[in-house]
Amino acid sequence: MIKTTLVCVVSFFLWTANMAFAADLKIFSGAGLIKPMEELRLNFERLHSVKVNTHYGSSGEIFGMVAAGRSCSILVPGAEKYSEDALKNGWIVGDTLKQMVLHVPIIAVPIGNPGNIRGLYDLTKPGVRVAIGDPKAAAIGRVAKKLLTKNGTWKQTVPNIKVYAPTVNQLLIYVSLKQIDAAIIWKDLVSWAEANGKLEVIEIEKQRNLIKTIPTAVCTSASDQIMATKLNTYISSKAGMKIWKKWGFEPCEK
Amino acid sequence: MEKMGIRTVRKINFFKAGMIFITLIITALLVLAILSLFLVPDPVDVWNNLWSEEMIFSMKFSLITGLISTLLVMVVALPIAYTLSRFQFKGIGFVKTIIDLPVAFPELVLGLCLLLLFGNTPVGKFLKLIGLDFVFTQAGVVAAQFFTALPYACRILKSTFDYIDPRLEFVSRSLGYSQRETFINISLPLARSGILASVVIAFARCIGTFGTVLILAGGTFMKTEVLPITLYLNISYGNMGMALTSGIVLMVISFFAIYIFEKAEVSL
Repeated sequence: MIKTTLVCVVSFFLWTANMAFAADLKIFSGAGLIKPMEELRLNFERLHSVKVNTHYGSSGEIFGMVAAGRSCSILVPGAEKYSEDALKNGWIVGDTLKQMVLHVPIIAVPIGNPGNIRGLYDLTKPGVRVAIGDPKAAAIGRVAKKLLTKNGTWKQTVPNIKVYAPTVNQLLIYVSLKQIDAAIIWKDLVSWAEANGKLEVIEIEKQRNLIKTIPTAVCTSASDQIMATKLNTYISSKAGMKIWKKWGFEPCEK
Repeated sequence: MEKMGIRTVRKINFFKAGMIFITLIITALLVLAILSLFLVPDPVDVWNNLWSEEMIFSMKFSLITGLISTLLVMVVALPIAYTLSRFQFKGIGFVKTIIDLPVAFPELVLGLCLLLLFGNTPVGKFLKLIGLDFVFTQAGVVAAQFFTALPYACRILKSTFDYIDPRLEFVSRSLGYSQRETFINISLPLARSGILASVVIAFARCIGTFGTVLILAGGTFMKTEVLPITLYLNISYGNMGMALTSGIVLMVISFFAIYIFEKAEVSL
């Protein structure tokens, strides 16, 4: 009896270990990119009949995972700074680093714009309830703080910031549910179908804005470099760009 | 006959061995999982993290909100549990279901419900008018913990009151005590260990509440940051050392809680 159980347990562990091996490809991606990334992943799986695993997290989290030596095929954070740092540390392959699409910060306000927000300066008005991403966790948090600092309104905005949300999706919920008057968030995020009709977008003037690009690169730790490069090329290809565009991202090269 | 006897003995052993085997293998897995939390991180790193400004804030804030929430939970849970255990009225089944519901609720859903309620509804507006703002505030952390822990305390206390022989209360009444005096002098002392157990479990639940706090209070660094939020924030920051340290602190608290709970010897 014990023998049979042992065999069962051992074979179960072998089976699960096997499953982990079969999935050679692994994408570490910024949480905000989940929609296009899932579609790209499914397409790539169908094209090459392989299994691609994904881990979505804040840019800080996935960067930390790579730093901790977790193996992945490609790294797609929410801003190029993370990939530049990874390149400096030798965690990604230099020639595979590609700037794919633009990540444009905007001000999202609830339908009807109850705080009467017209631009960045309005975020400093007394009584306006503002939410931004946690500057250390989410790429959008860091960018929001930077662009407010750049415009000289960060200090006056701070008293109005009611919440520093660790995840971007929280910002979306808070705006949609009218819990705050304004949030600084990525434009592509608010173009998601769920948010449609739930909030309004206030664009930030180009010269005041900090537009980021989303990079992709093959990791040096990828177990199958050839397939990882194929995946990297696919998501930044013309066919890939169609999917990015569908989800509200603008390609870097027009 | 002899053969059958042996067979019966074998059967019982087989059954017993299987049961014990499953119990032991799961226990071993849990022990390994708990040990790895203590053994993987660097002790010096953990010690330094423990005294960082963020961790001290988080531990203090968790302790304060946890104690306030537990006190509030007990103040409310005692009457609710006594009502559900002793009194009969129309719709009591419905009340029981609603009180128990959050046990099966994911914390995130509970957080969303509370966010909606305390947001732009008349209830939320009225509360704000009398100075109680629960959205993105430290008071919101207490509210989140309160609603997450309440059903657990109610369950334990109800089963405690269920086990107390009502005849003792009848005797007390027949000797001249009023209903209120009976509750204070007879029911409460008899429910002592159950009350201790529910305090401990409520406190542990409050300290461990994550999803409800994240959604309702926002999970803001050094503002509404309780221990589970510290863990989550530091995972997002890519700072595993701090994340593991808050995990260890939470584990130690739960360990003590369960130890006291087991000592109190009450069944759920």
